[in-house]
Amino acid sequence: MLEQSIFNGLMSSGIYVLIAMGLTLVLSILGIVQLAHGEIYMLGAYGVYFLSTMAGLHFLPALLVSMAATGLLGIVLEKIFFRPFRSDPERAVIVAIGLILFLQQAVFLAVGGVPKSLPNPFSGVINVGGIVIPMERLIIVLGALVFIAVLFLLINKTKMGQAMMAVSQDRDSASLYGINIDRTSSFAMFLGCFLAAAAGGLVGSITSVFPGMGGVALIKGIAVIILGGLGSITGAVIGGFIIGMIDGIIPVFFSTQVSSVTGFVIIIVILILRPRGLLGHE
Amino acid sequence: MNKPAGLTKLFSISAVVLLLFLLPLIIGSQYIMYVLIWLGISIALTSSLRVISLSGLLSIGHGGLMLIGAYTSALLVMKVGLSSWFALILGGVAAGGFTCLIGFPFVRLKGMYFSMVTMFMTEVILMVSEQWKSLTGGSAGIMNIPRPDPIKIAGIIDIDFKSYTDLYYLILILVIVSLIVFYLIEHSRIGRSWQAISRDDLLAESVGINVAAYKVLGFTIGSFFAGVLGAFYSQFYNVITPSEFGFFFSIYILVYMIVGGRRSFIGPVIGCILLLLIPELIGGLGGYRPFIFVAILMAVLYTLPDGMASLPTRLKYTDLGQWFIERFAHA
Amino acid sequence: MLEIKGLTKNFGGLCAVNNFDMTVEKGEFVGLIGPNGAGKSTVFNLVTGFIKPSKGKIIFEDHDITGKSPHAIAKYGIVRTFQANRIFADFTVLQDVWAACHLTNKTGLWEGIFRTSGARKKEQYTLEHAQEILKFTNLESMSQTFAQNLPHGYKRILGIAIALAAQPKLLILDEPLSGMNSEEVAEASNLISRIWKGKTTILLIEHNMRAAMSLCKRLVVINFGEKMAEGLPDEIVRNQEVIKAYLGVNINLA
Repeated sequence: MLEQSIFNGLMSSGIYVLIAMGLTLVLSILGIVQLAHGEIYMLGAYGVYFLSTMAGLHFLPALLVSMAATGLLGIVLEKIFFRPFRSDPERAVIVAIGLILFLQQAVFLAVGGVPKSLPNPFSGVINVGGIVIPMERLIIVLGALVFIAVLFLLINKTKMGQAMMAVSQDRDSASLYGINIDRTSSFAMFLGCFLAAAAGGLVGSITSVFPGMGGVALIKGIAVIILGGLGSITGAVIGGFIIGMIDGIIPVFFSTQVSSVTGFVIIIVILILRPRGLLGHE
Repeated sequence: MNKPAGLTKLFSISAVVLLLFLLPLIIGSQYIMYVLIWLGISIALTSSLRVISLSGLLSIGHGGLMLIGAYTSALLVMKVGLSSWFALILGGVAAGGFTCLIGFPFVRLKGMYFSMVTMFMTEVILMVSEQWKSLTGGSAGIMNIPRPDPIKIAGIIDIDFKSYTDLYYLILILVIVSLIVFYLIEHSRIGRSWQAISRDDLLAESVGINVAAYKVLGFTIGSFFAGVLGAFYSQFYNVITPSEFGFFFSIYILVYMIVGGRRSFIGPVIGCILLLLIPELIGGLGGYRPFIFVAILMAVLYTLPDGMASLPTRLKYTDLGQWFIERFAHA
Repeated sequence: MLEIKGLTKNFGGLCAVNNFDMTVEKGEFVGLIGPNGAGKSTVFNLVTGFIKPSKGKIIFEDHDITGKSPHAIAKYGIVRTFQANRIFADFTVLQDVWAACHLTNKTGLWEGIFRTSGARKKEQYTLEHAQEILKFTNLESMSQTFAQNLPHGYKRILGIAIALAAQPKLLILDEPLSGMNSEEVAEASNLISRIWKGKTTILLIEHNMRAAMSLCKRLVVINFGEKMAEGLPDEIVRNQEVIKAYLGVNINLA
């Protein structure tokens, strides 16, 4: 039982990390708290739904295409809604709130509120040292690891990645060094939405897809970045792991509400003792 | 730093208040009464959110606070048999007390991080409400909450709160009282400290203003009223369903405040009338409500950042406005 | 009046201030000078409560104010200005100073809400106090101008006026003259002088040696977080160590 819950914890961790990495990217490079991140996650899931039912794609290609499409949508949203408020984070938050209402209602009107399910080609289980792990859930953990690795490579090995880090540290100086802030912001937004869509698609494959699914994603994402430190990607990974494991293990011994409250208490303690989170740099 | 209301202002406000009291005699429809009760609740809620925002804090937590007030009142009346009037106040005390307890670490956070944390707070309150079945009835909530205790005075006054008209008068009084309190606080030394804090909190600290304490004070006052309104809601609607008070509820209140104008005292009133009353009176907006809201919100954010309340001032400085003033104000 | 004993502040592995001692007597005009990065701002943030010390004691008028919060320290009578020159934006100059009169307006909570005549009298008094400060700092003519529209030099003077509004016994000025042209320096120096003559004790942090020397009656020199020298301006200017610290060379400046 404990092993199962550890694995479930890993799975949750993977999802939370994906959500939080995207959120913290947008936060540190665009400077805004993208509250509509949960809706992007939801759109990613619906993207997979449409591509697999309408275009008949298999799960994996549908997921990748949906991620890319969501990323592109993100670029458009950034240009229209967030760029004008680059120097006014408070108003940008309100714009993001507006986007939440808009996106959720748009999906609701278009497709209705009935939960849909995504095709999942990964059936069966594998047996790892006595623990029975469903394939479909293992894929989530592996998928998350792959994307985390890709992101770290991107940040450390590519020019754009370095540019993003520079902008996140000090936007004004970065432009003096010849970094194109607009292009870097677009790319960061693309990445953030790309990752959120990945999380949405993966979660949708084992549960269901419905217009309000982004709410929980946002809450978890914010909890993780507060814990791990705003603006820190490593922090997002560590924070996501911690909260994911709590959510995986505690419900087994106590209950789901205890795990939520535990998460809350941890956040409060962090805020009192170390407001910038474990690895934050503000 | 505004001068006290001039005589004309006082006169027109009194006229409006009188009209509001006489309204049920003119309009017989219980449906309109129902709508106006909702309007009243929203105006008071939005104004209380504005009080919190005066010291620079944008809270997305009003849903959770209202829920605390609603549960406190319902449980006190139904399980302890307390008078509904005490329950009303205690609902506010519960919400205000909660905020006081968690306020200090929260207010240390910079602007948008505070907002994030209040959002989180609401979600947790909601989660706890949905799980703590023995206390709160879980996600089904509490039903059959009684109306406010009847008021019987010497055979002359006999109000049993069975009709919406009675409740309308109650919320009208609540709204008037809360607006008066908000106005007085805003124009007192406390309000001025908030104004200083919202502009530069380090500077305010250096001239002796206890920034953290003042922020918590504002947060607590706003929360108290949210709790009272939650208690009223439970007595008026007679049902509490936790899911109604989540993120979206809190967001809508915030949107009313922003659209109406956060800086202006009547901003919340304007926001609620524009986004609540008018749509209701034209027959509702159906599924398009969020879209229209978002459109109005974006329009305001892009063109009128200080909300609709700033429209007259803005127009004054346009050419058209100047022409208008020339033509009519000097006639 | 002010006694700093063994003040130390460590940031991670870095020691910003090390065992720093200093006193300021009532009515003095003391300057704290030192090259860039010497730790002047850190000492000063420690004294005014914006940073908490790692070690040491700060005593003001027999009260131990070590580690207290900035607003409490302001209540004891120490008020500071900010190097980055902070003002309350989108207030008029008068409103700015009035807002800073928080400590002089001792209206209680209930008095304030119910607008008693006592409260109104106190508010009137506060308003007059604000206007007096504007008169004293020669900002009266601009009292209705919006603070952010003031020319740079006047903004700094407004910063000083805001500090004055809190009725300091000890006024700490953080590089008030930086970025000013010679005309502005003269006017600001004149103002600071007049404040001192009005019986306010002044501690001036300044990088500009010449201005510090002409204004201050006594100088304390800090370098690498430690006290390097102390004495009258004439003595300091002849101190080879000090000259070396600023210029890196041995020069006879006498």
